[in-house]
Amino acid sequence: MKRLDDEPTKSGNRTSLSDQLPNGDSVTQRSPVALLQGLRLCQGAWNPGSPWDRQGAHAALWGRPPGSFLVVSDSSSQNKLLCVSVDDQAKKVQDFPIIHTGSAQRLNTSHLAFSDLLQLVIFYTLSRDVLPLCLSVPSWVCGLTEQPEHLVSPLGPKAWLCPSSDLPSDTMSPGTPDTQDTVMCTIQLTAANGALCFINPLYLQEHGDDWLTHSSVSTNLNNRPFSKRERRLSTARAWSGAGLKKRTESVEDSSATLDSSAGSLVQNPVSPMTPTGVVLRRASSSSISDPQKRVSADSIGSPVPQSPHRVSWVEDKLWMNPPAPSSLLHPPCLEFDSLSMSSIDEEPDPEPSVSPSNVQNSPRLQLADKVKNRLSAVGQALGGLMSPQKRLSKRVQEMSERKGNPFAEALRGFVEQTLKTRDVCSVTSTEMLQEVRSSLTALRETLYDSVEIQIIIDSLGDVPDFELDTMLEHALHKVALKPLYSHLYECMKTARQQDGSLQRLQVNQHTLVGRSLEELEGTAGAGVPDAAMLEKIQQRWATMHQQYSPQKKVELLLKVCKNIYHSMTVNAKPGAVFGADDFLPCLTWVLLRSDVVTLQIDTDYMMELLDPSQLQGEGGYYLTSLYASLFYISSFRSRLATRQLSAEAQKSLSQWHRRRTLHCNQSRRSRNRRTIRRHRSGERVEEDSEEVNASASKQRDGDGAHAGDVTETLQSLTESSREEKEEEQNGRSED
Amino acid sequence: MSARGNARTNGNLPQTKICQFKLVLLGDMAVGKSSLVLRFVKGQFDEFQETTIGAAFLAQSVCLDDTTVKFEIWDTAGQERYHSLAPMYYRGAQAAIVVFDITKPETFERAKAWVKELQRQASPNIVIALAGNKSDLADKRLVEYEEAQTYAEDTGLLFMETSAKTAMNVNELFLAIAKKMPKTDTQNPTHAARHRGVNLQDPDAQSSRSCCGN
Repeated sequence: MKRLDDEPTKSGNRTSLSDQLPNGDSVTQRSPVALLQGLRLCQGAWNPGSPWDRQGAHAALWGRPPGSFLVVSDSSSQNKLLCVSVDDQAKKVQDFPIIHTGSAQRLNTSHLAFSDLLQLVIFYTLSRDVLPLCLSVPSWVCGLTEQPEHLVSPLGPKAWLCPSSDLPSDTMSPGTPDTQDTVMCTIQLTAANGALCFINPLYLQEHGDDWLTHSSVSTNLNNRPFSKRERRLSTARAWSGAGLKKRTESVEDSSATLDSSAGSLVQNPVSPMTPTGVVLRRASSSSISDPQKRVSADSIGSPVPQSPHRVSWVEDKLWMNPPAPSSLLHPPCLEFDSLSMSSIDEEPDPEPSVSPSNVQNSPRLQLADKVKNRLSAVGQALGGLMSPQKRLSKRVQEMSERKGNPFAEALRGFVEQTLKTRDVCSVTSTEMLQEVRSSLTALRETLYDSVEIQIIIDSLGDVPDFELDTMLEHALHKVALKPLYSHLYECMKTARQQDGSLQRLQVNQHTLVGRSLEELEGTAGAGVPDAAMLEKIQQRWATMHQQYSPQKKVELLLKVCKNIYHSMTVNAKPGAVFGADDFLPCLTWVLLRSDVVTLQIDTDYMMELLDPSQLQGEGGYYLTSLYASLFYISSFRSRLATRQLSAEAQKSLSQWHRRRTLHCNQSRRSRNRRTIRRHRSGERVEEDSEEVNASASKQRDGDGAHAGDVTETLQSLTESSREEKEEEQNGRSED
Repeated sequence: MSARGNARTNGNLPQTKICQFKLVLLGDMAVGKSSLVLRFVKGQFDEFQETTIGAAFLAQSVCLDDTTVKFEIWDTAGQERYHSLAPMYYRGAQAAIVVFDITKPETFERAKAWVKELQRQASPNIVIALAGNKSDLADKRLVEYEEAQTYAEDTGLLFMETSAKTAMNVNELFLAIAKKMPKTDTQNPTHAARHRGVNLQDPDAQSSRSCCGN
């Protein structure tokens, strides 16, 4: 993690900074980074040493253009003074004492604190805050990059304030902020694409991160129309999709060293000596913790929130190229939660389909695109810093540790109960997992009923319920499944060993492992993973096994599937399309070279414990494929060859099917409970249709005890004696 | 009382319904299942296209008047030996396309078997479409249009001859399916979870929401 302001004595850093700036001459002028650089190089000019005092500064500033300033030592106190010419007509110069509190500096009338003087000054050149106007900097300052020692050292306050030093009042006038160049917003944040990120750890310490998630993007969106997609980026980055990933990569890389979540950042603020960004503080009212305030600030498109915590977002929109030196410009302590499916793309992957809008690859972007990208950078940064998921997880964690809390009690009961099932042989692992699943659903309901969680959910704004479910599930996994998953693995393994299915799986693996892709009826032209890729896949399987969260497991599964697709494509004819005909044999081929026993455990774990809504979509599809492929291996009969599955296996499949359908209904019922709270009339419709559905599924499944047999029989109809059996089955149904 | 509902803003939401359906693709190996779907997905507007890791699972939306119909398309392996795995894929599907190759009669027979299986075992209200693919190879045709058409009528299926190569009838097929889907989709349990959040955008539902939101 680097600081924005390197020590002024380290010239090496200066050069590297300027070298890395991708801007051409014409655009360098007004970029915040150039400004920062320039101001640092000529600090001696605006912050002169010993002989200079208040009187001298006032004399020098007298009659200078508004915004001209000097920082001098105040002889009457230990503090420094920011002397600003506020009105050249009236020849008025005002003093603003700068107060040191610990290692932070701030104007005494403001609560925005900065880790050093330079940052303070640059902030006030960009934002007025408590000043009557922005500080003004001679335009040549931005050009100060080359050979700074020679150029700058002779410069003193005289040169700094010299009217001849090309001070174009139209662009520099702080009283009339150039709206074309600055976008005023609630947060000064320019992350991945190279503007400055001003985040105040002290502020976070004091007020938490909630305020950031709300007012930030909304104000800035006032300036332009925005799409829902962009808005989602601000509050729901976790779902923002794979295409956005590339833009966040650089941020992620460097922030990887900071494992602290936004939550722990609040608890353990970065030492004031090491912040990357300018430390911003501003007087805040006591209403910060009032959730109503937060909610009111939340509505998108509302006027600038009247929040007392408003700070400014300034960026240089002339930055046309994607800026390289992102490493210098990282927002502090970003952690992007890896819930997002976009983490699938974390490695360079040659597949073209992944990133529809890769900023790094497009050398020059249209302004609109750029603004959009910048917005998403903001959204991503915010999402990382205060992801709603983190807030929920943190709160759930806190609740789980609180004595007497109903949720904590329920959770403890559940964990203890589940751990006790170890020695009860009568309970199958499936039953146990079903218990766990329904307990998770019940615990989630408890969370929904809790006021604390409600407050967070309310503050998130427009998040579809299924996403809320997913987020709460995720939060729940940490407190409920983490203490249990090794125990669950053990029980599952024991059970599957006792019923012989693991042995069967291994025997069949042994039988099949020699078969080529063609023998598995893989299609010609599709490749299989080479040794290196296979190794990588094995590592992913291992990581998958270590996850306690079924969601995380699915994410890893998707990564493996992506690797398999890659191997299929890599030597194929260009334009070849690989669907399930090609993928399933390839997956099977990979599984035959993997630890099928562990994979079976993991598959069961996912199949039984995922929230029903997550059994759909891409994750659901590839989980189904994994399940199907393992099923194919374990049920393989070399002599009967093709389609026949053992009755036993079919039974387990149909049971699973019914079980999960039941879960869905169960889950929907609980959801309807919530719906009742929200809108009663809409709920009735759903209930009706549920009845229809329930009766329909009854019809389908037949009556309780026979259901398994019926399905089993239905399944086996694919065999040669199909017609005959069908009649038999029909007869049975009619009975 | 309904704090969760209150927090939502409706102002910027589109006034269209979004319905999401699981569609399963069945058919013999190499009849062009993937090509057909890929033609559909790639031929549509990019804005509705969702990036997926591979062509075995694709998602695509089509717009119908006031409704956006989103299909999650599950491809299945057509090989005989993987046949028994198909129920895992068509479980909970609300639509299916059974594909055959008009130049290979055996794939038509196989398609009929799939239809039979679906009608017996899949969701009771599943919308099934039969696609006679590779219609661009008319000179090699071995399954007559009328034959398939008659079969589809008798069995209550949508039927079209398609060509993934020339894109003939590809979009039409999906549109026809979309039109046939129940637009108030609440009857499928596996579907409802994801769907319910979207349902709130239904203009019909909004009135009821606003009155009990307070």
